[in-house]
Amino acid sequence: MNKIVTGIVFGAVLGFLDGATAWFTPEVRPVIGGILVGSSIKGLLVGLLSGWFARKVNSMKWGIVFASVVGLLFAFGIALMQGNHYLEILLPGFVTGAIIGFLTQRAGAPSKQTV
Amino acid sequence: MELSDSVLQHLRAVVDLPDFGGTRYELEGEIGRGGLGAVYAAFDRQLQRRVAIKVLDGEEEARVIAGLEHPAIVPIYDAGTLPDGRAYYAMKLVSGERLDRYPRGDVPLSERLRLVERVGEAVAFAHTRGVLHRDLKPQNVMVGSFGEVYVMDWGVEGVAGTPQFRAPEQASGAAALDHRADVYALGALLRFVLPADPPRMLRAIAAKAMEPNPADRYGDVPALLRDLQRFQNGQAVEACPDSRWQRTRRFAVRNQVLLLLLAAFVAVKFFLFFVRRL
Amino acid sequence: MDPDTAIGGGRDRFPSTRHSLLAAVTETGAVPHEALEQVTALYWKPVYKYIRLKWRKDNEAAKDMTQSFFASALERDFFQQFDPAKASFRTYLRMALDRFTANQYAAANRQKRGGAAVTESLADDCEPVDGETPETVFQREWQRQVFALAIEDLRAYSESAGKRLPFQIFAAYDLAEAERPAYSELAERYAIAVTAVTNHLAWARRMLRGCVEARLRGVTAGDRELRGEMRSLWS
Repeated sequence: MNKIVTGIVFGAVLGFLDGATAWFTPEVRPVIGGILVGSSIKGLLVGLLSGWFARKVNSMKWGIVFASVVGLLFAFGIALMQGNHYLEILLPGFVTGAIIGFLTQRAGAPSKQTV
Repeated sequence: MELSDSVLQHLRAVVDLPDFGGTRYELEGEIGRGGLGAVYAAFDRQLQRRVAIKVLDGEEEARVIAGLEHPAIVPIYDAGTLPDGRAYYAMKLVSGERLDRYPRGDVPLSERLRLVERVGEAVAFAHTRGVLHRDLKPQNVMVGSFGEVYVMDWGVEGVAGTPQFRAPEQASGAAALDHRADVYALGALLRFVLPADPPRMLRAIAAKAMEPNPADRYGDVPALLRDLQRFQNGQAVEACPDSRWQRTRRFAVRNQVLLLLLAAFVAVKFFLFFVRRL
Repeated sequence: MDPDTAIGGGRDRFPSTRHSLLAAVTETGAVPHEALEQVTALYWKPVYKYIRLKWRKDNEAAKDMTQSFFASALERDFFQQFDPAKASFRTYLRMALDRFTANQYAAANRQKRGGAAVTESLADDCEPVDGETPETVFQREWQRQVFALAIEDLRAYSESAGKRLPFQIFAAYDLAEAERPAYSELAERYAIAVTAVTNHLAWARRMLRGCVEARLRGVTAGDRELRGEMRSLWS
């Protein structure tokens, strides 16, 4: 499994889990289905970009930083669309991005090197 | 005839000296005496370089080593027979220290383990060629001036080894020795190079290699080397299985970044949960 | 060609006819006279000195005990019981000696019931040097006797092979008690070139090594033990 696919898988799973924690916010429970889908897609996209970054740059530190920033940006976009719950979306989005960045740096096969 | 002590001493010195007359070598002097013969420094007149020459009881050892080409096995340049019928072989003259005289006071643990690993690699290589060392000990390991390691004095049938480094089955003259006798000796070598109060896991690795029953030791030298590598990677070693708590701790240490990030995620969620309720 | 100055070729070695007599003994069970002769020739002095030092016997008592030991060895299947797989013949002999002398000592003490122990002083030639044990003395005397016998063999061979001169030079140089003469001095003494002195010495030492090996071959039970004994000679 290469880094991009690894990123997509981890991103989708973590995004789903992140979205699932919205259950603890009673007022959004009615729309949790949409949250789960959106969060999973967000995670997937963050994972895709992180995986791509991990193929180019082999650095745990920069991998985490890149994915955190991307996660934050996507989370900001979603929060803007919501117009609400900025903190609840941005903070977890940032940390989830960091975790995805860590995982894509560590796991997955690096790009093949030709001599 | 009654020989005095001084004459006896003199005779013992001169009669054993190899006569290189008719060869290309010029004897310089004895540099060591091992279980299988003496080693001399000599000058190769043909190639204008100094060499070490080992004079043997028999020809087996030269043939054994000539077939082993490995960075940690001293290369053989030449072999021949002396006028008195003894066989000799010329090899690279290694300048450095024998491992038993190697200054170990300030040497870091990683360097000590590196030395053992180099020795182990040479022995493992020899095993793949069907050759056992049989007499592995610090006196048979040279450390060159650049840290290069050479394993010397490859054993032949009939050498019983050195007590401290000798596997029990070797000491008792058991039927067929196998590579596990060398595993034992390598474990003893590891114990020898370790500092006074070594980490528990290294003690366990040495102890496993030195189990009296060959079946209880590492199956082969690479298995021992893998455990040394695991130790250096902070992983659990085969010789010393971790308790559950130790396994958990080891996992936590190796995955501390991930655990921190997960903890941060949970902390953020908790924080948001409580902030909302305020 | 002058036999006195002719140097042997590269393969000139002592013509060893001594096969391993001990091996013959252990195989056939018979004790060839020659085997016993060789063992006695080599081990008499080491045994004698060992007994003197360890059991603090005077000269005559030690001689008697040494004689008894070798006599009894022949009677008691001493050679037949030797197992080369277990130890070298030298070790076996010393252990047998320990048992023999211990038995003799115990028997003598039983006879001397109630008597005070007599401290027997040793003659000067048997006083132990500091740190020496009877075992180290036994080893050293064995080494000394091996070389002594080998030198006699070399002398006899040199005479018969017309190599008197090399032996004389060897004796003058390598057997010199005091300061050794210079090569040039020897060359002048024997009216030969200095290089000839070097060559003669090399020949004699090479041959002596062969004689040593032949002597040891006669009291060992195979190549493996022989090699071990050769190593012990130089350890």
